[in-house]
Amino acid sequence: MSDSLEIRLHGRGGQGGVTCAKILAACYAQMGKYVQTFGDYAGERSGAPVAAFTRVDDKPITNRNKVYNPDHLLVLDPSLLGATVLQGLAPGAPLLLNTTEELEAFDATLGAFQLATIDATSIARKHGIGTRSVVIVNTTIAGAFARTHDIPLEVLEKTYEGLGFQSNFPAAREAYEVVRERPPIVVAGDADQDGREQEAVRVGGRVPVDPLAEHLESPPTGLETGSWSSQRPAYVEQLAPCNAWCPAGNDVVRFVQAVHTSGEAAAAEILGYSTPLAAVCGRVCPAPCMEGCNRREYDGSVHIRGLERKIAEHTPVAVRQAGSSANPHRIAVVGGGPAGIAAAYALAMEGHRATIYDGEESLGGVLRTGIPVYRLPREVLDREISDVLALGVEARLGEFLDGDRVAALAEEYDGVVLATGLQWLRGLKVPGADLEGLEQGIQFLHRFNSEGCEGTPLSGHVVVLGGGNTAMDCARSALRAGASRVTVAYRRRREEMPAIREEIDEAVEEGVVLLLQRQPVAFHGEGKVAGIELAEVVMGEPDDTGRRSPVVTDVTSRLDCDAVLLALGQGADLDFLPEGWKLEGSTVTANGKPLPVVAAGDLATGDGTVTHAIGSGRRAAGLVLQALGEEVEVFERPDRTRAVPATAIRLDHWPRVPVTREGHAPAETRVGNLDEVNHGLVNGAEAARCFSCGHCTKCDTCLVYCPEGIITRATSGFYRVDSAYCKGCGVCVEECPRRAMEMHSL
Amino acid sequence: MTIEFLSANHAAAMAATLAGRANSGARGFGGGIYPITPQSECIELLCRQEIENGSLVRVESEHSAMAVCIGFALSGARTFTASSSNGLAYMTENVFAAAFYRLPVVMMAVNRTLGPPWNIWVDHGDTLLLRDSGWMQFYCEDNQEVLDSILFSYRLAEDPRILIPSLVCQDAFVLSHTMMQTDVPELEDVKRFLPELDLPHRVVHKAVTVGGLDFPHETEVHRQHHAEAMARVPEVYRECQDAFEEVFGRRPQDVVVPYRADDADLLVVSLGTTASTTKTAVDAARERGIKVGALRVRMLRPFPEQELRQAFAGRSRIAILDRDISVGHGGILWSEARGTVSDQTLLQNYILGLGGGDIRPEHIEGIIDDLAAREEVEEPRILEVG
Repeated sequence: MSDSLEIRLHGRGGQGGVTCAKILAACYAQMGKYVQTFGDYAGERSGAPVAAFTRVDDKPITNRNKVYNPDHLLVLDPSLLGATVLQGLAPGAPLLLNTTEELEAFDATLGAFQLATIDATSIARKHGIGTRSVVIVNTTIAGAFARTHDIPLEVLEKTYEGLGFQSNFPAAREAYEVVRERPPIVVAGDADQDGREQEAVRVGGRVPVDPLAEHLESPPTGLETGSWSSQRPAYVEQLAPCNAWCPAGNDVVRFVQAVHTSGEAAAAEILGYSTPLAAVCGRVCPAPCMEGCNRREYDGSVHIRGLERKIAEHTPVAVRQAGSSANPHRIAVVGGGPAGIAAAYALAMEGHRATIYDGEESLGGVLRTGIPVYRLPREVLDREISDVLALGVEARLGEFLDGDRVAALAEEYDGVVLATGLQWLRGLKVPGADLEGLEQGIQFLHRFNSEGCEGTPLSGHVVVLGGGNTAMDCARSALRAGASRVTVAYRRRREEMPAIREEIDEAVEEGVVLLLQRQPVAFHGEGKVAGIELAEVVMGEPDDTGRRSPVVTDVTSRLDCDAVLLALGQGADLDFLPEGWKLEGSTVTANGKPLPVVAAGDLATGDGTVTHAIGSGRRAAGLVLQALGEEVEVFERPDRTRAVPATAIRLDHWPRVPVTREGHAPAETRVGNLDEVNHGLVNGAEAARCFSCGHCTKCDTCLVYCPEGIITRATSGFYRVDSAYCKGCGVCVEECPRRAMEMHSL
Repeated sequence: MTIEFLSANHAAAMAATLAGRANSGARGFGGGIYPITPQSECIELLCRQEIENGSLVRVESEHSAMAVCIGFALSGARTFTASSSNGLAYMTENVFAAAFYRLPVVMMAVNRTLGPPWNIWVDHGDTLLLRDSGWMQFYCEDNQEVLDSILFSYRLAEDPRILIPSLVCQDAFVLSHTMMQTDVPELEDVKRFLPELDLPHRVVHKAVTVGGLDFPHETEVHRQHHAEAMARVPEVYRECQDAFEEVFGRRPQDVVVPYRADDADLLVVSLGTTASTTKTAVDAARERGIKVGALRVRMLRPFPEQELRQAFAGRSRIAILDRDISVGHGGILWSEARGTVSDQTLLQNYILGLGGGDIRPEHIEGIIDDLAAREEVEEPRILEVG
């Protein structure tokens, strides 16, 4: 080695160039030399070209300027190669290049230099240095430098120990072993071997003392920094969790935002594309969207159900006009519940003719027979059903279909949607289950809903068994039907009750008593039920879904009562399927052959909620049309795992604002009548709480936070990123409150 | 002593750490800190050090950082903070306060150009803004000097004859972020060099108002005392040099530092790392037969008038290099030093390296040639090296 050595290194921000220069200096310090190392600091960020310098000498180093005539050049990224990088490097001087290409590939371009090449990126990646996307090559390429500059491997190892880089040493050693080097191919005539002919110029050079001349005007800022970037921001639309969680497939984020920005009528139009039953869902939907809402853990989910109800006050006339089809099909829909109505609606919107068959005298299914009027006033249901019928959907009522009739429909119509719901009611096989005074809750509700309080007189203590919405409806209806006292016995804990939380609250407010972790084991009474034997239940280990399964103990107690309503769940009754038909999921086959017949709603999914039924009906409509050769889009439930997670939301952009509550009739006035209990939201202001996850709202945060000031509103009204100056720093994406942006590699 | 491979920012942090530990047995160590490029490295390292009976308060601004130092110092603790550029500008009110309270606060400043427009690189305008704040000011040329000057400053500032805060300045990046071998002393040696602080006017046992109303006559007396203490600095400085050399085996440099100046007709005068880079240019010009030397002004306050007058005597030509400008006058070092230059000497002011322009030996050689050939003095001129 000569007396002094000046090394210059070029890399990109993030590759660790400054640290690499430091490693080289530390090696020479180990060898007893005076060293100095520094980076060329500026405002760069990841990916920007950066330089670093190392000086080595036998005497103390006094120069503090950058290195302009390097004795050795290191280039960490071959894409940087060019006149600027090679500036000041004398012909014949050593140049170490990190490249995936072979040494010979540079004979023409870098022939003048004593070139060494190493694929440090691959080696570093193999040794897991950095991340998969950002490989840090500094510790690896230093190994190659050591080899080409006769720095002993032991010195290198000791240096790595001193700097705390031991774990990177194997990569450095590999580079040390595999680096390839060749002498200069074209040597300038009078240049000596190591390119030291520049010495005289370097030391003797003088810069004349001229006052500022060149830039007497304001200096130009023509540095197009966009060339530094390795990635660029993009505006994207991502799946909002509410949309991902809505079983009906409503475009929740968009209708909520529409309430906020364009008004309730505009929101109703959006909602109308996916559901004919917004007013119904706005009252009785369990609202999985609110379970998924990213605001849930922050300050409470946006009250989406309340907003849906508010929106549904506006009939979306613009949308609710039947579509037209060049080839209209006739489809029979068996079952007039929410799935059947949704299927018929979807068919009508596509321009096909749907006819709904139902055994009851009016459409609505469980919405009419099962849900009490104080939760869902019949005029609300009737209005939405009449809107569907107004599209040309026919209803044939009053006939329960058997297998022969269903088979005949399959002949008569082009296709059939089966949406008969769950007709089988779960009972209890315990002593005394046949006593008088025990009734299926669904049947009680059916009578209650058709005949009112007078048709279902109850008195004394009524016990409801179950924890779902049917149980809550039974309990609250029993109070209205005359019961002096109502107890709900459920085998799990309150937080595990499947009923809508608000409905449990409303029931408790009205005086219903919850008796939790109890399982009936016997009924007592002489001919008529007079009491229940309830066993205590403890919660066992969680199952695969995380739900704890109840374990019944031997500890029992007796609860006196005058009537018992069973709300233990329902199942599908497949007796109506014609001979030879088979149902698997939503697919129906006859003797193994596929039919243009599709099952929908609880018959297909068994989920038991209105919202699932609507999504399932929409899907069935698509499937039956597809089976008939139509090119239609079949509704698929979105993949929840793709939804924007709460961790992607910049929560500090939002103040905490409590959820807007719906108005309720006072508890003490509710029980004596059948008036609607929940009065809904007063207005749509709640929509302002929506984060709009994954959907740009043009909030200008990106524009405000861009450190380069190069995001502007284009004439189109959307944002424009000036790629000439975007360094790809990612601040806009980090700051986007709703993850409606992401970085893309260039 | 161990030789470590440190940036000057880290060297400063190590010095503050050692000084803090050396006072653990007395009233401890403290400071308010607030980060700013290019000083952040220093306080980041300092915050990771364990200092018994020490406390660093992460405040919301430089103004508060100095306020916290004032509070610590008034209670008798040894204090440290660091800042740069606009951070110093924002701190200024309390910088003056620390001096007027006669508190031996030590601050490290990384010289960075004042904005806007924003510039993170070196020039000296920021600490020269504090020239008249009543602090001592030192400008360093290398990593070792940064470390040594901070230790040295504590001894000097805390001397009961002085009790004046000290500002240790270093150039952004070319010094602050540049790593070189640095001799880090042992704590035992630091303890021998730095007696525990016993601030005579520390506030004890009862609450008092400090810095209340000063009537004209009291202010006159306070300034007179302050000026007398400042005037004692050169003498105490030499004592501290002796003590430092005795403990650590190397002698801190004098308040002005000559380089090949003994027989020089021409002299190139500057602050900080400019003087370091000047050495190469002097060597090269000497090889060409020019009798040139260099002089570094290490201490700017108190101003080393006598030392400069002696150093300048008999020179035919002097170039004063300023990495700063008092707009409407010229370089600040030039305007300070010109009064010590005799009429027989040609004195030319060159302003270069503003905003971090990379001063290379070639530029200074160009200046030497210009100075040697110059027939008359011109207005201070700003050179373009960026």
